[in-house]
Amino acid sequence: MNATAPVRVLLGPQSPEPNVAQAVAASGLPDGPLAVVSAGWQETEGDIDEMRSVLARQLEDLHLYRREEQLLAALPELAAAARLRQEQLIEQQRLYRLRLKQLSLAARQVMRADGDADLLAAEQRHAIAQLRALDRHHLYRTELIWRRFSSVNGPDLHPELARHIREIQDIVDRSNGIVLTGGNVAVLINRLRLFEVDRMLEVNNVVAWSAGAMALTGRIVLFHDHAPEGRRDAEILCAGCNTVSGYVFLPDASRRLRKADRQRVSFFSRRFAPDQCIALDTGNELQLRGSAIVRVNGARKLGSKGRVSAVKVK
Amino acid sequence: MNPQLRNLFRKGTPDAAAIDAFIAAAEFPLVDGRDVTFVYRGAADAVHLRCWISGLDTAQPFQALAGTDLWATTIDLPKGSRIEYKFEVSSNGHRELVLDPLNGVLAHDPFGANSVCQGYGYERPAWTLADTGARQGEIHASRLHSTVFGEDRDIQVYLPARFRPKRRYPLLVVHDGVDYLNFAAFKVVLDNLIHALEIPAMIVALLQSPDRLVEYGADERHARFVNDELLPHMAAHFPLIDDPVARGILGASFGAVASLHTAWRNPGHFGQLLLQSGSFAFSDIGRHNRGPVFDPVAEFMNEFREQPGRPAERIYMSCGIYESLIYENRSLVPKLQEQGIDVRFEEARDAHNWENWRDRLRTGLTWLFPGPLWMVYE
Repeated sequence: MNATAPVRVLLGPQSPEPNVAQAVAASGLPDGPLAVVSAGWQETEGDIDEMRSVLARQLEDLHLYRREEQLLAALPELAAAARLRQEQLIEQQRLYRLRLKQLSLAARQVMRADGDADLLAAEQRHAIAQLRALDRHHLYRTELIWRRFSSVNGPDLHPELARHIREIQDIVDRSNGIVLTGGNVAVLINRLRLFEVDRMLEVNNVVAWSAGAMALTGRIVLFHDHAPEGRRDAEILCAGCNTVSGYVFLPDASRRLRKADRQRVSFFSRRFAPDQCIALDTGNELQLRGSAIVRVNGARKLGSKGRVSAVKVK
Repeated sequence: MNPQLRNLFRKGTPDAAAIDAFIAAAEFPLVDGRDVTFVYRGAADAVHLRCWISGLDTAQPFQALAGTDLWATTIDLPKGSRIEYKFEVSSNGHRELVLDPLNGVLAHDPFGANSVCQGYGYERPAWTLADTGARQGEIHASRLHSTVFGEDRDIQVYLPARFRPKRRYPLLVVHDGVDYLNFAAFKVVLDNLIHALEIPAMIVALLQSPDRLVEYGADERHARFVNDELLPHMAAHFPLIDDPVARGILGASFGAVASLHTAWRNPGHFGQLLLQSGSFAFSDIGRHNRGPVFDPVAEFMNEFREQPGRPAERIYMSCGIYESLIYENRSLVPKLQEQGIDVRFEEARDAHNWENWRDRLRTGLTWLFPGPLWMVYE
């Protein structure tokens, strides 16, 4: 464990019972103000009075959602480029989903097939390898779209964007850490990247829950086994901030994931290995220093054999 | 005999007070697993159950329960069924259709109301009930002049909660839209599903034809009205996403015919179709037998079945198993799939009525217009 490394506190949903105050207290995070990113809440960004009363600290919202709206309204060129980027990302996701649907169906069928154990094991490995290759490809393609956008739309080319980034950096510098709330994970990651908060997260203490925790990982995995339109295969959205590497966080897993289905759990775990898939339900907590887990409360991991078991402090 | 009735008669013929007590204590109809017993109390020469279920006789006779003014009949109703019915009471040569006096559960439609039997395993979906916690959208009146019909047409427009003119929204065009509001809790459903993030915030154009059996019956004028007049009107007055994927049409019965016909005449304009209990009459050989009002429908459907083209990218269809139209709907599914259209077909143990259509809205809407729930982790 690296005692000087920034604290990372990862939590499940803060509703109906928040545990952020206890988790922050247990983390040893020094008293003092915290910067907040609630951009995932979109129009209700900044509605943090309840959090303020729970944490009993000075909180300052970075208003990434509002800043982006202002910025794009003021800079039509940047707005057009951002729109193009989003259209490309949506189209890329659609194409990925088309391929994923077929590969995943085939893999699930092979996982459930009967027959010679050796033959089956080889086919199952290969089916999952194909899925993993598709996931890698998608991650690469989405990164390419982002890089193309960033290379010609960075703060060096847009002084107004640079001004926002400086303001955000100033607030972060005055704070003892950054809090990332839940919400729409795509909205959140887009703003974190645009305003380069991903870079700031790296060297600061971070407290994050749900979508906020997902955004900190190396790749954001979308999932919902009980979606009203029917079960969907888990999808990679894009790269996360990679502040916390080696994990896939699954918030609200008890409600969204069929954890009792061992084949499903095994499939999920093997597809995203070597990253550890960790379920974060309401009341759960995971604390890391660097990449080492130093405190666990209720968080559970998905195993390659299909079991869901308690995460242990390493 | 139903166990509750058997119990009533266990000590012989019950007196009026015992029957009063029985009626006050029981819920009617009496549901005992698949056996559903309908009870009528009163003087009559004959009583029949009228429930318009394809596959059953339209009139099921009641039996008088000896020594009392009670009448009863039992039908076999599979799990999860929901049927609408009336009693036909014959007395002194007169026949009268009445609601079940012992059952307060009613379903309303443009012709009045029916009693509702909720069979074993049926529950009204929670998302069809008003939720005070859900943010409310608003219904606005709008009028456009139709050159096609040579008159002004009033429509109603649903705007979602927290509507913002600077945002762009998907558009859903709904046939019999006012009926959907009145009889299928459509606004409640939209508010609830949008609030739960199961569908995106959307704008809905609610149409109500003054002559639906003509205009919705594969009438070329209606297809032009929707495509050439309504769409430009909506685009001029509301912030819409200009993409067929974000544009859908919904309709039930003849409204489903109008939806399919409009999309078929304007390929590439509507990405999503939601078709409920479509009156998709056709004839493989000879003439259809559904009456003259179906003539233009059958003509269209025969042509459509020969050359379906690609009216939409995705089509959700539903139909009640207890409707005669189940055959036409089932047989349409493979025709559409052969065109490479993504089709989802759902059958329900229900009949041709608004509550059947209400109960299927969540699956249809969330499948055609998946909401941000997938992206939201609170």
